Amino acid sequence: MGEELARYSIVFIVCALASLFVGRILFAPWNMTPIDKIVLLYIRLPRVVAAALAGAALGLSGTTFQNVFRNYLAGPSILGTTAGSAFGAAIAILAFPYSPLLIQLSAFAFGLMATIVAYGLARAVGSESMISLVLAGIVVSAVFSGLVGLIKYVADPYNKLPALVYWLLGSFAGTRWCDLYPALPPILIGICTMMLLRWMLNLISLGDEEAKALGVSVSLYRAVAVIAAVLATSASTSLAGMIAWVGIVSPHIARLAVGHDNRKLVPASALVGATLLLVCDDIARSLTPAELPLSVVTDFVGAPTLFAILIKRRFYRFA
Amino acid sequence: MLKVEDLWFSYGSKCVLKGVNFEHRNGVGCILGPNGAGKTTLLKCVCGILAPLRGKVSLNNIDILKLSFRDRAKIISYVPQEFNITFPYRVLEVVLMGRNPRINPLIGPRPEDEEVALKALELVGLKHLSERPFTNLSGGEKRLALIARALAQESKLMLLDEPTSFLDFKNKHLVLSLIRRIAHERRRLVLLTLHDPNLAYMYCDQVFLMKDGIVVDSGEPRAVITEEKISSIYDVDVKAIEIDGFRLILPRYNSFAKTLKLDACCMEVSMNDHRLCGD
Repeated sequence: MGEELARYSIVFIVCALASLFVGRILFAPWNMTPIDKIVLLYIRLPRVVAAALAGAALGLSGTTFQNVFRNYLAGPSILGTTAGSAFGAAIAILAFPYSPLLIQLSAFAFGLMATIVAYGLARAVGSESMISLVLAGIVVSAVFSGLVGLIKYVADPYNKLPALVYWLLGSFAGTRWCDLYPALPPILIGICTMMLLRWMLNLISLGDEEAKALGVSVSLYRAVAVIAAVLATSASTSLAGMIAWVGIVSPHIARLAVGHDNRKLVPASALVGATLLLVCDDIARSLTPAELPLSVVTDFVGAPTLFAILIKRRFYRFA
Repeated sequence: MLKVEDLWFSYGSKCVLKGVNFEHRNGVGCILGPNGAGKTTLLKCVCGILAPLRGKVSLNNIDILKLSFRDRAKIISYVPQEFNITFPYRVLEVVLMGRNPRINPLIGPRPEDEEVALKALELVGLKHLSERPFTNLSGGEKRLALIARALAQESKLMLLDEPTSFLDFKNKHLVLSLIRRIAHERRRLVLLTLHDPNLAYMYCDQVFLMKDGIVVDSGEPRAVITEEKISSIYDVDVKAIEIDGFRLILPRYNSFAKTLKLDACCMEVSMNDHRLCGD
């Protein structure tokens, strides 16, 4: 059981260590100046921790949503969770003086609302169809993106707008330890809960009737799973803005390697998500002299990856 | 012993179970009845998927309507008629899910649960397919795998909703004789629904006739599966034939022509077609 997971862990650890030494200032661990040490401890390390945690959170949320909604295409951005969280965070940034707790709370509340509305709309359109959930997610995302646009329009162009726009594009640039702390509790609670529910996700994914007959209080576990996923997603959104694709691509990469049993899939998608976001962040900070917005990189990496996986899956199925 | 007393259920305003009463003591029990009689609803109420309006269901004097999902799943397993899974879990993983009521849900199955699952697969003859994706199995194999899952659940009572639907001529008999073996050798109580009175006659120990939301008659197959009773619950003229100690119930063709009130065009076709004009 552990073989693929061990391999994933090694890849992840290597990536994380390498990420510490990649960027505008390149240095080797055996030859560090005092300045390098400060860069390592106060700039690189929090950034790597933040990217790894956010990536794991998004990968896990993707897997959780896919199982809860019994839908391959579900993911935090497709369901509108990310857009909802972004709106929540943006409105908190705009309307109140800077308060990390308030940003977290608002991001979580609106993320949860977006997810529930998307699910409700999908049920109204046609309950069991895969595509109705995606369409509902598009609708919800559009509404919240519109609202974010409205916030940008009314934001103070000198004080708040540039920061808001840059944050919305997504970036771990300038993530210090003190930025990381407020996001840590929700992200860790979300990650741990989803990890604990990994066996339950198998049963939840069978649907209500089946799960009940197998002794599961479905509504309770489903609610806990969705709340955990939204908590993790909204925390990662308030940390680094709207990060697309990682949430949906990571579970698919993990599925190819470890199969569909959530006992393996859940930890694997956390590791894949963390590794993927670390690599994207490395690219964002080293490809050009100026930092690229993270979502630009995840778009370029994630979209083709998903496409390649879908093609491969098709061949796999008919082979 | 399964005892159902005055069980009522309705979907919204549509009343489906109207005071079901019956007792099933041992072996394989079969519920026979026309479409819409409430057979599936009855099974779902017994296993807890649906909550009845009122009534009492007890298994060996335990009131099972008062149990939690988890406690109920320890003593009752359910094999659905249709099973659509979104993700192609492997067969062994599907069977392992039957262990759920007996394990810590936050830890998942232990190695000994995997043993139980493999043994269940061996009993139904699917051990060689345990690593295959469930979605790649044929209809008959899927049904057998789900029976293995119910076996792995190690419950006293096994409910099966139309275990023979979508199965070919041979597999119907294969599945039913397996169920009969399980009931007798492993001392399980089995309650299933069937559409074919002949299969019920061959494989079941008790038959419950259901119509319009109540159990109208029950007893041993020989006493219940008779010309008059079957023709009255299905509203069809039937003829019973005794062969090799079995009683076969055959519908009479003419009765359908009468009940269906075929329109003129169809009538003409069937009258001209000699193959259809038998008694």
